[in-house]
Amino acid sequence: MKIKKVLATVLSVAMVSSVVACGNSAPESAQNTGSETSTTTAGETQAEETATSSDVTDTITIMVPPITGDYVDLLDGWIKEFNQDYPNITIEVIATSWDDHTEKLTTMALAGEAPDIAEVSYAAIGTYVENGTAIDISQYIEADRLADYDQNALDYMTLEGTLYGLPLYITIQALGGNKEMLEAAGADVESIQTKGWTYDEFLEVIKNGTVDDRYGFVFANAGATTQDFINIFGVSAGITSSFTSDLKYAYTSDNMLSLLQAVETMTSSGYMPNYAVEAGQRLVMLQTGQTMLTGKAMPLFENNIKRNIEKMQASDPEAVEGTIEMEYVFLPVPTMDNATASVFGTVDGMIALRNNNTTDEHLKNVLLFMDYLCSGERAATVDNAVYLTGVCESARKAQESFELDQSDANAAAVAYAISKVVAPPTGITAEQSANAKTMMDETIVPKFQALLAGETTAQDVYDAICSEAYNLFGEENCASGWIK
Amino acid sequence: MKTQERQNKRLAKPRYHMADNISGWGFIAVAVAIFVIFTLYPVISAIITSFQEYKPFGSEWVGFKNYVTAMKNDLFWKSIKNTLVYTVVVIPLSLILSFSIAVMIMPFTKRIQSFFKGIYYLPGIASGVAISVVWLWLYDASPNGIFNRVLALFGASSQNWLSSSKTAMLSLIIMALLSSHGANIIIYIAALHGIDNTYYEAAEMDGARFFQKILYIVLPMCRPTTLFLLVTGVIGSFQVFMNAYMMTGGGPDNNTTMIGLLIFNNAFTYGKYGLACAQAILLAIVIAALTTLQFKLMGEDIEY
Amino acid sequence: MATGLYSQHLHNRKIYHLRNLLIAVFLIFFAAVSLFPIVYMFAWSFGPAVESASTSYNIFPGRWSFDSYKAFINFSDYSLKWILNSIIVAAITVLGNVIFAGMAGYAFAKINFRGRSILFFVILLSMMIPYQVTQVPLYILIVKNFRMTNTYPALILPGMCTAYNIFMAKQFFTGIPTALIESAKIEGCSQLMIFRKIILPLSKTILSVMAINTFLNSWNTFFWPFLVTSKEEMYTIQVGLKTFKFANGSLLSPMMAGACISVIPMFILFFSLQKYFLEGVTVGAVKG
Repeated sequence: MKIKKVLATVLSVAMVSSVVACGNSAPESAQNTGSETSTTTAGETQAEETATSSDVTDTITIMVPPITGDYVDLLDGWIKEFNQDYPNITIEVIATSWDDHTEKLTTMALAGEAPDIAEVSYAAIGTYVENGTAIDISQYIEADRLADYDQNALDYMTLEGTLYGLPLYITIQALGGNKEMLEAAGADVESIQTKGWTYDEFLEVIKNGTVDDRYGFVFANAGATTQDFINIFGVSAGITSSFTSDLKYAYTSDNMLSLLQAVETMTSSGYMPNYAVEAGQRLVMLQTGQTMLTGKAMPLFENNIKRNIEKMQASDPEAVEGTIEMEYVFLPVPTMDNATASVFGTVDGMIALRNNNTTDEHLKNVLLFMDYLCSGERAATVDNAVYLTGVCESARKAQESFELDQSDANAAAVAYAISKVVAPPTGITAEQSANAKTMMDETIVPKFQALLAGETTAQDVYDAICSEAYNLFGEENCASGWIK
Repeated sequence: MKTQERQNKRLAKPRYHMADNISGWGFIAVAVAIFVIFTLYPVISAIITSFQEYKPFGSEWVGFKNYVTAMKNDLFWKSIKNTLVYTVVVIPLSLILSFSIAVMIMPFTKRIQSFFKGIYYLPGIASGVAISVVWLWLYDASPNGIFNRVLALFGASSQNWLSSSKTAMLSLIIMALLSSHGANIIIYIAALHGIDNTYYEAAEMDGARFFQKILYIVLPMCRPTTLFLLVTGVIGSFQVFMNAYMMTGGGPDNNTTMIGLLIFNNAFTYGKYGLACAQAILLAIVIAALTTLQFKLMGEDIEY
Repeated sequence: MATGLYSQHLHNRKIYHLRNLLIAVFLIFFAAVSLFPIVYMFAWSFGPAVESASTSYNIFPGRWSFDSYKAFINFSDYSLKWILNSIIVAAITVLGNVIFAGMAGYAFAKINFRGRSILFFVILLSMMIPYQVTQVPLYILIVKNFRMTNTYPALILPGMCTAYNIFMAKQFFTGIPTALIESAKIEGCSQLMIFRKIILPLSKTILSVMAINTFLNSWNTFFWPFLVTSKEEMYTIQVGLKTFKFANGSLLSPMMAGACISVIPMFILFFSLQKYFLEGVTVGAVKG
């Protein structure tokens, strides 16, 4: 017993002293290991520079959510293909889920252990620029390869004139509807799809489209989806980005006030439900004829609706209960008075991130693989899966051979919508971008939710947004009056 | 004079025996080692970060800037208020509920007791996203939503549950009260089983009735358990963010923005990790004050 | 069986039965209300593996099938390995907590050693810092300094001995009469012997409560395992379920099936530990 006791004491003393040491020196040692690793890598590169660059082995980590359902499997195949040309580059994939992708990526980035390549939405780039982990990629990719990408899409991946990544696809988000019902309500569907429509026309149509048991228009707006409403109808009022072309904060403009007033009218009109609608519910309401028009809608919905109708015709019990036959039409958002017609688009792409392995040589390899994934057949596969057109020349070329199950009218509508997408101005700073995100989440969305619930007025919401924005950006940096 | 005082002081201090010191530290050695490495070190690191503008490759010291930013932010105080309201309603109610259920399970035979414990523990087992999805469905705001259909049975009108300022917080509170008492009930039952029959027998001899037994025997004997559940409940409730994150996103009008959600967003969505740390430290100070108060109120001294 | 808390109404059994019936009715009603989400989860786990199911307002699916369960098993070569990983991680975590937190709780409650109060206070304080901000330094420690990505230690160590359990054990042991320990001391027992021979037999109840709650927490933890694993074979069941949710998370039935699968081992553990909750080894029974 005594021996045990003594042992225990010795052990505990040892533990405590080591523990105290640990508490104090751990951050230092973290830095040490950090610098050690980087020096060794640097040493290696120097040593290997004598050899031809293709002999240098390198490992690249890439972190992706399931961009398409089977993206990780597809990726495995592409890596094999890539390795035929570059056998010395090993690719490690970290698969995540949509829900938790950002949190894992941020944690890793904050720890200095970010993956070399990560999938992000363009709006999130600012965060990584702010904390110093995003990398200016332009010097690591060859100019002729960069020329493959559309400038419009590249602009989304640019902050303060610096390019941080390559675009993978551009999503357009607008409205979708039941063609027959729309025409019965007096809408010239074909013209809307290729030429757009005005807000007054839109109001008239949803008014005519509202009958017993059917709403003219349903927008999924419960919880976080409120932001979709703001984004999509924001462009309708001429707000295409959080910042105007002269880099002033856009949500303080008169355009916002008229958007809010329009929403106030819409929600109290009775042409829309007066309760919050869950994201999944809107499509079902369209499929079952409970609404004529819905949002947010994507071109891909055409596929969902067709498959569901096929199931219904085959008396498959998995079809949505009460499905009706319909033709799905993808429509641009209406344009308010004095605003330029545009459509909301958002770009997802791959960005390069800094970690302890980052060296110039390594970055060249990283960009080699990133470019490989974002172009050609790889990008085309993703675009086809979401019914969209590629954002680089090589992807569009690869798409030509692919037969998309899409009506000509909808294809025309998509083409029109893409042509109306306006990229954010390129001079936005990382800080502005991060602040805009905070404004959106902490002020605009919550106030907008209160407006949708009929608990406040458009003017109050507008005033609250202005006062917050003046605090955050300074009044001189906020837009006033009407922006075109 | 002075020596006298010093002697008095020494006498007032608790005495430690060498043997107690040795065995005490022996008993806690491993626990403390694990605690220091995996809990204390991250905590200290977070405290340090709260004084920095954190960047993985080269942070800058900014003094109390993060604290000032946090304190100046209206939403920070609003979220503290929301969390406080949530905690003040949920924790006492859920303790009373768990205690009552634990007591009500006691008169039955072993077999029936196990049955009830099993079914009351179940909601706690299945936690996380799947259950949040079920609750979202229960709270669906359309007239077809389950809760709205129940209301319709009583002739009440449909509610915009999670999307109305009037009912959003209430909805989160109902959800907490109906899904988080399993572990508490089990802990209370363990405590109830620890009360010896002789106490009741003695009380019966004095003519005590059921409620007198509860008041004079059960409640005092369960006090350490209640204190534990209260303190950990308040801590947990102040850090809660999953419900707001999954169910309301903090809306409408930030009426359900919890401080935990705000810290999460700052750390992981806006990349303001230093600010998040400062907010977390401020939150810890609030919780520490409340905890000290609880220890005082429950009559258990905690010397430090 | 019967505690002395309730009157046995020996003179009038009718009142006794009536009272128990009323209590039982209330308990069943309240249980039914709080079980409702679980019933829904269970029922829909047998629903069709299609998106539209998520928007149905029916309590039960229109057609019952095992599709979602089959899909889960076939989804990955590692589906069963995930469950095994979770069991390994949870079991070791439970063991660590029961032993180390149990011992520490006893020391904090009953051994009067130097530094006891301040140390306990620091442990309490550490619980008050939300995990959202301690997660990053912990990640740096485990991944960057210890290079433990994709290992069991990375999954287990941070939860080996939690402040919560130390606190719970301390609160329980505080209730044990000190006289009991003092008399053992006089008879020449060391603290270790007291702990093994006297305390442990008295604390089966609290230790099994600790075991089951710790197992539950470990089992349901998603984010930490998600952070420190990148290879499928090292996923825990919760991480696996998330990847199983597919692109947009709107496939209701597979999600519910996954939740049900992950509940089963918990349920087995709960019922196998049940007898300890009921044994009612009471402190006072050993007269101090």
